[in-house]
Amino acid sequence: MENNVEMVTIHVMGKKHGVPNDLTIMKAMEYAGHQFRRGSGCRGGYCGACATLYRVKGSYKLEGALACQKIVEEGMYIAQIPFNPAEKITYDIEKVRPAVNTMVEHYPELSRCLSCNTCTKACPQDIMVMDYVQASLRGDITQAAKLSFDCLTCGLCAVRCPAEIVPYNAATLARRLYAKYIDGPSKHVIDRAAAVEAGEYDEGIKELMEMDKEPLQKLYENRDVNIHG
Amino acid sequence: MADNESGYPAYMAESLKKVVETRAERVGKSFTPMNAQQKTDILKNFHPDWKMDEKRELRVGHNKGAQMPHEVVDIIEAHSIIKAENIDLSNIDYDVDVLIIGAGGAGLSAAILAMDSGIEPDKILIVQKLRLGDANSKMSQGGIQAADHPNDSPTIHYLDVIGGGHYSNKPELVEVMVKDGPEVIKWHEELGVLYDKMEDGSMQLAPGGGTSRRRMHSCKDYTGMEITRVLMDEVINREISYVELTSAVEFIKDDKGQVAGAVLYDMDHDDYKIARAKATILATGGFGRLHIQKFETTNHYGSTGDGIIMAYRAGADLLHLDSTQFHPTGSAYPEQIVGQLCTEKLRARGAQPLNIDGELFVYPLETRDVEASALIRECYGKDKGITTPVGMKGVWLDTPLIDIINGEGTIEREFAAMHRNYTKFGIDIRKEPMLVFPTLHYQNGGVEINVRCETNIPGLYAAGEIVGGIHGKNRLMGNSQLDLYVFGKRAGIAAAERAKTIELGELSLKHLDDYEELLKKEGIETDRKSPILLPEYRGKKTLDHQLKLL
Amino acid sequence: MRIAYYPGCTLKTNAKNFEDSAIASAKELGIEMVEPDRWNCCGTVHALVKDDVMHHLAPVRNLIRVEELKEADKVDSKQVVTLCAMCYNTLKRSNQTFNEDADKKQKIHDVMYKEDIKYSGNVEVLHYLEVLREIGWDKVKEAVKKPLDGLKIAPYYGCLLLRPRGIGIDNADNPTIIEDLIEALGGEVVDFAYKQKCCGAYHTVHMKEAVADLSHNVLKYAQDAGADLLITACPLCEYNLGPRQTQIKKQYPIFDSIPVVYFTQLMALAFGLNDGATAFEANKPDPTPLLTERGLME
Repeated sequence: MENNVEMVTIHVMGKKHGVPNDLTIMKAMEYAGHQFRRGSGCRGGYCGACATLYRVKGSYKLEGALACQKIVEEGMYIAQIPFNPAEKITYDIEKVRPAVNTMVEHYPELSRCLSCNTCTKACPQDIMVMDYVQASLRGDITQAAKLSFDCLTCGLCAVRCPAEIVPYNAATLARRLYAKYIDGPSKHVIDRAAAVEAGEYDEGIKELMEMDKEPLQKLYENRDVNIHG
Repeated sequence: MADNESGYPAYMAESLKKVVETRAERVGKSFTPMNAQQKTDILKNFHPDWKMDEKRELRVGHNKGAQMPHEVVDIIEAHSIIKAENIDLSNIDYDVDVLIIGAGGAGLSAAILAMDSGIEPDKILIVQKLRLGDANSKMSQGGIQAADHPNDSPTIHYLDVIGGGHYSNKPELVEVMVKDGPEVIKWHEELGVLYDKMEDGSMQLAPGGGTSRRRMHSCKDYTGMEITRVLMDEVINREISYVELTSAVEFIKDDKGQVAGAVLYDMDHDDYKIARAKATILATGGFGRLHIQKFETTNHYGSTGDGIIMAYRAGADLLHLDSTQFHPTGSAYPEQIVGQLCTEKLRARGAQPLNIDGELFVYPLETRDVEASALIRECYGKDKGITTPVGMKGVWLDTPLIDIINGEGTIEREFAAMHRNYTKFGIDIRKEPMLVFPTLHYQNGGVEINVRCETNIPGLYAAGEIVGGIHGKNRLMGNSQLDLYVFGKRAGIAAAERAKTIELGELSLKHLDDYEELLKKEGIETDRKSPILLPEYRGKKTLDHQLKLL
Repeated sequence: MRIAYYPGCTLKTNAKNFEDSAIASAKELGIEMVEPDRWNCCGTVHALVKDDVMHHLAPVRNLIRVEELKEADKVDSKQVVTLCAMCYNTLKRSNQTFNEDADKKQKIHDVMYKEDIKYSGNVEVLHYLEVLREIGWDKVKEAVKKPLDGLKIAPYYGCLLLRPRGIGIDNADNPTIIEDLIEALGGEVVDFAYKQKCCGAYHTVHMKEAVADLSHNVLKYAQDAGADLLITACPLCEYNLGPRQTQIKKQYPIFDSIPVVYFTQLMALAFGLNDGATAFEANKPDPTPLLTERGLME
């Protein structure tokens, strides 16, 4: 016990440490003296920098988590995976099109998928990784885009996949293709951009820019607020 | 978690009961927004910016006399971490046309546009303290503003921005930002960013604090992450060169007074490298990890305000650094996630801030500074906050209202990130409210630029959160995301143009020696060094026993 | 009748014509084919994996999906119908292994500990041809509006519909199920010696010359026996016998092309279905000139 907080024993890269039981893995490692250079990013579950693998004493199961989101447990054996070696295929988004074989053409290793579901088990975002890999495999780009949306590219799925697929790279391609070609752009955005270019708003804004503070303030405070339409 | 199990400690049960009891009558209830006088009063009395003893005057440089938070002055009134005499400028490691410091939304956009403007991808170099894309941009949740809806216009957007910024914004920067807005969204769609759409294919738009129209475009509550992912993919596809885990620590100038690149520090190998560039773009982001007034922050790990001091030592103008944005709703419980962002979009979709008695006490969509002040007043002025086990205070944000008003499944769909985040810590925000308190969020001020992103030093451009003057003294939700891409693109274009014609002179770090002289002259004695690069979170025992032997 | 339908990867991509014609023709017979929301590749290719637990994860997971459909009352029974002969073979064999080998059953459940339900082993895997046989050839005949008069059809079984014993849908030496279908549709059966011989299967990827040899035998024997076209029940067979004819022609210059279609496409034709149900556009060589000339198509 320290300051009335219970302590737990964890191992980080093999070294034993006693840390308060309410810390996340990230803060526990800092408590134990580690300064992150790799392995810490947004610290809020948004960037995938802190991908971590661990086992708990007595269990053979290898678990994956984000260090900034996972609270330590007694007997945790922790290792960080701050970088996943993986080539990302390059392509020109203007030239690629969503067709039945597009995904497999760019990432042929997708067809090695055994449907073992290890990737899904490793994902800290509860994404159905295997399902989006399978969707990519059969050319269902819409499904692959929608299922993979919450992906942080943390790399845990790729590290664990026995077929050596890098699911998140394929997912990025699927999402961009879906957004650009299947979902398509919104017309009113294109129209408004053209109107701005044509100078339709120049005068109105110039008027506001040249106003003195007092009349501008009055205009602002009495402006019509319409956030329901 | 069973239906009747709460994610909160038992002693909060009574207050939670009141929240549940008052819910039915609060659905869709309106609260009168404050008038101008009320806003001024609440800011004066409760906004952290107005605590004068938390600030002091800057004593050095041409912005001498400006008021800034202690933490910011501390990094400006400090020595460089390098000494000019120890740096060998004759061995150039990276010789490029455009150097971009920072790979968040602004840096990535600048790189793509520099290439579109004719610079070869291997003549562009992005340096990034952590990994490509690790920036506050990625963490933005709720949305990006742009006036493209038929019942909206850039003119209306302009008025919202200038009023929200308390009329201290630079008008020409606001003009450019609101006019370029629709084009930025169009550009995103061309790149393949997956925005939320309505059934008819038009954009799904939400309101935000201080906006008079629904103008917020979103990608669930992963807006920043989705846009950043696409831009990163594009940068890699185009084979633009970038190097990660490499911080810029000081600018290099030449004998003509131009910025000519930067001294880089390799965070893996603890050695320095020299980058020479015909044009340099500063896109280093914010300063949340300086923990102003000891606030927790929404910012990412590397947000230590490096750009401020680098630019200042090179002679750049700074403005509005006395103004800091505190996001009204940072998480206040559980302790593991204190300070993390809870998007404003929650309030846009109906969540209400409530005190310990379950009462709505403020119009949920005031501008951020006013809203934050109201929460602080409720906790510390009126003592109607809820105290957490570690002694922090907060108010409820009644999230279950979101599903009630918009239909079951709304939270799961539109706030997937928040829901997942809280579920991991035992709280189901569909059934229970969040506990929130203002958190350090955004650097309103920074380096001064013109509409071409030029600073007052030739060769130095700036874009993104590091820039000051766009948002005045208070930024509206969704306008930071917007300014990243508007000014990121402009910086890329302007830098590329310059790089095509400029000649560089002899490289020098004399300005660092000059700054040392300035510090001496002003009688500033200190051990402090800057930029600090990373915040210090290691345990006390480790720090007390530090030895650097290898 | 609502029955679970397992498509398999190819049925959604290169063999979409097989699926479209099958679903349309099934509807005519009062059968609603219900596809699970989630399914994965059946694992056919993984038969090459030595680790015999991994090999079964993919098919068993699909059988769990069928049980979930029944739990949700979206289908009438725990039967699942497939169109692709390889999917049929893989799912059925895995199902059998699962039910006969207690040790493998345990291991499979251990690896799949994150699935919501354990597989009970009670799904029955059927090929669409079996479903038709079950309904009765009379019923099939009743649905025919445009009998395939005068069309000489060679039934091609390939390997996986008939082998191994216990898995095959008919007697491997002397099958009759496709012949029965042809007669019910009003067509003329052309029996030929190579109807159960291998088309070359996956060797098409790296040994296309060998595949061309094997497929050429199948096609030539059918032609010599007087067939107008062949019908098949497997997308890989269809590929080796159909589109591969370009390669066959290179190796056997005097070879005359002959159409190859899925049995469901002829069902759709005979049932008089329009609206793209026959989906002949995707077939190579194009069967429409032959069918038009015979007055079976406009």
